[in-house]
Amino acid sequence: MTDLLERHRGLIALSGRESVRVLKLWTQTIAAPMLSSMLFILVFGVSLGGRIREVGGVDYEVFIVPGLITMAMAQAAYSNNSSSVFQARSDRYLHDVLAAPMRGWEVNLGLSMGGVVRALAIGAGLLAIAAPVTGVPVRHPFVLLLATVLVLVLFASLGVIVGIYAQTWDQAGFVNNIVILPLSFLGGVFYSVDLLASPWQEVSHVNPIFYLINAVRYGFLGTSDVPVLVALGVTAALTAGIVAWSASIFRSGRQLKD
Amino acid sequence: MPPALRIRGLTKRYEDGFLALADLDLDVGAGRFVGLLGPNGAGKTSLISAVCNIIRVTSGEIAIFGEPHHSLAARRMVGLAEQDVNLDRFLDVEETLLYHGGYFGMRRAHARTRAGEMMDVFDLRAKAGVRAPKLSGGMRRRLLLARALMHEPRLVILDEPTAGVDFELRVELWAYIRRLHDSGTTVLLTTHYLEEADELCEDIVLVRGGRVIGRDTAEGLRAAYGATSLADAYVRAMAGVPPR
Repeated sequence: MTDLLERHRGLIALSGRESVRVLKLWTQTIAAPMLSSMLFILVFGVSLGGRIREVGGVDYEVFIVPGLITMAMAQAAYSNNSSSVFQARSDRYLHDVLAAPMRGWEVNLGLSMGGVVRALAIGAGLLAIAAPVTGVPVRHPFVLLLATVLVLVLFASLGVIVGIYAQTWDQAGFVNNIVILPLSFLGGVFYSVDLLASPWQEVSHVNPIFYLINAVRYGFLGTSDVPVLVALGVTAALTAGIVAWSASIFRSGRQLKD
Repeated sequence: MPPALRIRGLTKRYEDGFLALADLDLDVGAGRFVGLLGPNGAGKTSLISAVCNIIRVTSGEIAIFGEPHHSLAARRMVGLAEQDVNLDRFLDVEETLLYHGGYFGMRRAHARTRAGEMMDVFDLRAKAGVRAPKLSGGMRRRLLLARALMHEPRLVILDEPTAGVDFELRVELWAYIRRLHDSGTTVLLTTHYLEEADELCEDIVLVRGGRVIGRDTAEGLRAAYGATSLADAYVRAMAGVPPR
């Protein structure tokens, strides 16, 4: 173990740097997204829950918690890494990392860790608050763990990729505002797609975020709009594709280096 | 002992088609102090960036003390202070040095001791807890140098280290760079200040259009171009006047 740590001191330092950045900016990186997600739970769940009552046999304020936690974690992992990597490129302090004796995969993993730490802090914080307020259960902890890992890896890697490709801050924020956020809302955070009429129900199945929300929801509530293996399988396939893309950038240096 | 830097056939063509380095050869002996002179766009920064793995090379070979430049062993032996002030805006002075030490594989305790030394040498101790954007221009330049030297590299590459600093700091940095060289470190320096090259460098390499067009001591270059000053020799070389 000591030998392993010795050989990867660069990776440990880079992971530490990315995590320190998250903690130094905690009001922006952790407190603000937690507050907005809690407001969703209070306004949509607790306030409107009295009118909607149940979805698929689950109280509405409980039903929306898994989707909101998933959305908050996905956005946090993505936006943290896209902005951190873009800033490192823009200010060129990434050069200090690229010149260092680290393997490509170590740089990739190290740059991803800030998003993972931030998303986990938000997810754990939201769960700690939502559990006593709404009484949301954790029916399948192993499925929840697996789905959470997939969500973290998928969006942390996507953030790193976009941070590398982006030429402006607008481009770095584009994927979050134009892709992740709308697809999350349309992926069944606030409703079961079984309630939708055709063709919207079928269209929802093309939305990749629908599957990860359902994988996480199954972990919490034991219910899902699709079989849990399908939800996990689609999420895992998507994650594998994004990770392969990210790995190829760091292996070849293309886009990362002129 | 292998040379500190051995470059053979180095070519760099950027994606927009610009040819920055054209089949360039260069040797820098261990323990030497070599200056790279050339106009903007001559290829100096591309050359340095290629050595430090910051850009991809189109073709050619680079070895650092006999090791391929992309190997982990080679990277550990090189320290780079870039022309642009590229400090991490989220880290304070001490953290900048500690994390750099970590990236380069230093143990935490050793990095802490070394960071203390570097802060003392570069008079940064009072600013240990100040983030880079809050430092003055001179302090940032010192921190860049301290960071480049943090992991005790055998080959130090300084890309215009005194650009934009006042005369007092320039003289102070010269004294430090000279002491560094006296301690056995190989130094590769680029500069636009010809008096700086004349003052510090044992060998001067003239670069133009991505190629080496001349190499000698300052005295040798003056003699070769029939010039009374290094500036005259430089102007003649860059104008394409053949050496005697």
